[in-house]
Amino acid sequence: MIEELRKIVGDKWVITGEERKLYSFDGFTAVSGEPSVVVLPGNEEEAVEVLRYLFSRKAKVVIRGSGTSLSGATVPLQGEVVVAMTRLNKVYSVEGYEIEVGPGIANAMVTKSAPKDLFYAPDPSSYVVSSIGGNVSHDSGGMRVVKYGPTFNSVLSLKVILTNGEVEEFTPSPFFNPTSIFVGSEGTLGAILRARLKLVPKPKARKTIVGVFQTVGDASRAVVGIFKAGVVPSALEMMDKTSVSIVERSRYKAGLPLAHVLLIELDEDLEESIARVVKVIRDNDGEFFEPEDDAPYWNARKGAFPAMGVVSRAYLTLDCNVPRAKLPLILSKVEEMSRNKGVTIANVFHAGDGNLHPLIPFDPDDKASLRKAIEVGSEITELAISLGGVPSGEHGIGLEKVKFLERYYNATDLEVMERIRKAFDPHGLLNPCKSFLKEKCQPKDEVFRWLWEWD
Amino acid sequence: MGVGLELDKLELDKCVHCGFCLEVCPTYVITRSEVHSPRGRILAVRLGVKSEGLETCVFCRRCEAACPSGVEYGKAISSYRRADATKKLAHRILENPGLLYASLKVYSRSSSPIALRIKEFVKSYQPPLQYKDENAELLLFPGCLNSVVYRSTVEKATNYLRRFYKVEVYNGCCGLPHYAEGEKERALKIAEKLREAFKGKVVVSLSSNCTAHMREMGLDVFDFAEFVVKKNLPLPQREITVTVHDPCHASLVGLNKYTREMLKRMGAKIVEMEDPSFECGAGGTYFIFNPELSRRIAEEKGRKVKATGVENIISTNQACSLALSLHGKVFHVADLL
Ligand SMILES: Cc1cc2nc3c(=O)[nH]c(=O)nc-3n(C[C@H](O)[C@H](O)[C@H](O)COP(=O)(O)OP(=O)(O)OC[C@H]3O[C@@H](n4cnc5c(N)ncnc54)[C@H](O)[C@@H]3O)c2cc1C
Ligand code: SF4
Ligand code: SF4
Repeated sequence: MIEELRKIVGDKWVITGEERKLYSFDGFTAVSGEPSVVVLPGNEEEAVEVLRYLFSRKAKVVIRGSGTSLSGATVPLQGEVVVAMTRLNKVYSVEGYEIEVGPGIANAMVTKSAPKDLFYAPDPSSYVVSSIGGNVSHDSGGMRVVKYGPTFNSVLSLKVILTNGEVEEFTPSPFFNPTSIFVGSEGTLGAILRARLKLVPKPKARKTIVGVFQTVGDASRAVVGIFKAGVVPSALEMMDKTSVSIVERSRYKAGLPLAHVLLIELDEDLEESIARVVKVIRDNDGEFFEPEDDAPYWNARKGAFPAMGVVSRAYLTLDCNVPRAKLPLILSKVEEMSRNKGVTIANVFHAGDGNLHPLIPFDPDDKASLRKAIEVGSEITELAISLGGVPSGEHGIGLEKVKFLERYYNATDLEVMERIRKAFDPHGLLNPCKSFLKEKCQPKDEVFRWLWEWD
Repeated sequence: MGVGLELDKLELDKCVHCGFCLEVCPTYVITRSEVHSPRGRILAVRLGVKSEGLETCVFCRRCEAACPSGVEYGKAISSYRRADATKKLAHRILENPGLLYASLKVYSRSSSPIALRIKEFVKSYQPPLQYKDENAELLLFPGCLNSVVYRSTVEKATNYLRRFYKVEVYNGCCGLPHYAEGEKERALKIAEKLREAFKGKVVVSLSSNCTAHMREMGLDVFDFAEFVVKKNLPLPQREITVTVHDPCHASLVGLNKYTREMLKRMGAKIVEMEDPSFECGAGGTYFIFNPELSRRIAEEKGRKVKATGVENIISTNQACSLALSLHGKVFHVADLL
């Protein structure tokens, strides 16, 4: 098999030795797997040939983008072949408000390749590195979801290869749109070869207001208040005091005050919107400032997860969503849990769409600390679901959140999803053990048991 | 494992595997493979995996600037790289510019692959300038390659500084190639030697990455443009349009702003290229030992330079200047004096 793969992509793009291990996990570092071999096709033709060959041999495959998944969606748990799509990073065309790209292109390059007056709206914090293939497959969000929606709203059509070896180019359609089912499918239905994406006009001006609060309660009530005041910000992020203190110790420090902070970006009706936002901040006992140069603040926000490295070698990033109105309640509960259990929890998240990201540090050499982090994470996620929320707002199910599906969906939902998955992948070749599954895989050790099983 | 290595491993353990460093890394940008990425290199060391990637790192340390977790990649990874005999030989030659001159002469008659590769870049060379005023108070440090490959720059800078100071030219190597390419111990020794030599003198370096490296070794050294700007030395006016390359290490310690300031004071017009600190393709002796990757990095850089439509490129680092000469006319700021 390896010889065949080498023939298609060339010797140096098939990794068989120990270096395979460099593809054994992604942004979710609590577990790791091991690929049998890693292949990096150099272009679309090679990718098609590689995948056709692998599918014809009934080889199990993990498609990988930039490997920044926070739900472990690319971890090869069964010795799969990892096919990394990073080299497929071409821009095929830019026409009007549309751009067609290869799946390996980094999110940031899409706007860079677009006409000066347009931009690609979805902006996960990982935008400098995460790939469009990964963004589509996790239906990634970001700061601007609150106004422009997640990746789903920006994908016009896809070209994919299916496990029967066929290449399909979907045309946009208002009914039975096959593109949409691939958004969020986590590499379980086929491999994305191209994506046609929507660009939107850049606003004439943008303005950032930094709200500064002494309590999480005030900050989260202000979030609710901003929408009640009829303002739809183009981004609305919260960094609690713990996360501010950590970022301010990292290279991404911006000089934020040590408090609970809201970063609010407005991009229309500036004068009126600013006035309303300022009033809401004041009404909730907050202070504010309007930075001349707002880039450092947004960079601090974007670098806030990995800045955790300053205090801990590893951490879990939760991703549950709650209705905005429930933010004050869930944040106060999270604060309580952190206190009672003696676990640090830093909150830095997309407040505008209620997408929480509690960050829970653990010591990778100490299983007990990982277990505790997983338990606290589980409790928070269950709480979010009970408040009418969802287990994952944008990071996906991957291998991390499989157990929450049975809490969120009913048996019929799961049955239907299973049938869809089977229809695309009858032999279970694509990303086994991840995402929606009627039957979970056998845990290979205690960490997987903690992740996959309820006590 | 020695204490040093243990500490370096702990440093690398700070990596949280976020990947923010990938797209700034020149070898990742052209290969798009984890093997040749900072994150991959770090993981290889952590897992004890023997990986080709450790050899292909250009040691530009752009990954450090991008890392939210603050991993001091350069310092830590340098302990895990090993120089083979050829690299060691190259380092010995660089330590002594006189020997470098003699070696280039020998190479010019050879047609070994290494010699051919060197000839692709180094078109001409001269013996290093020996100059010393009595009671010299200022040491001008050209940097090993500058001494023989860009002697006219050294002459210009010497003549200029002589107007204000008593000058001595100190021909030698800063030790960066050693540090970067698996001879960290020897690099530390070189730094000690320089510390002795620099005692009681003002030191001005003509090679920005050397300046940056020496500073990080705790030596008190000015970069040429920095010195001119900070001392407010008089400058001639030049009607010239340039684009500026930011040598990678100099970027990390914030030296490049002085190059721009000096150019502005001279009335030069600057057209910025995209990502000015993107690697030039030379990477110390990298261009000799990793020709294929180096060539592709240089092509990528070339695209960024060409997009400015400007022919004159300013580079204050010798090795970069060699690589950049593929894309236009290269000047050191001192050449404009
Ligand atoms: C520091 C940090 C910050 C982050 N911030 C955000 C954020 O703000 N918002 C957010 O939504 N996410 C965020 N993420 C998560 C992550 O970056 C996203 O999920 C991203 O979309 C993953 O892209 P990737 O290219 O790394 O994909 P990978 O991790 O390589 O893969 C992710 C999934 O996509 C599948 N896949 C990848 N390419 C293809 C393809 N061509 N065809 C089919 N399937 C494919 C894989 O099989 C896998 O299931 C962050 C991650 C990090 C590390
Ligand atoms: S030093 Fe430069 S080449 Fe080496 S890993 Fe860092 S960015 Fe890449
Ligand atoms: S940016 Fe830093 S923490 Fe992130 S992968 Fe690179 S070295 Fe590791």
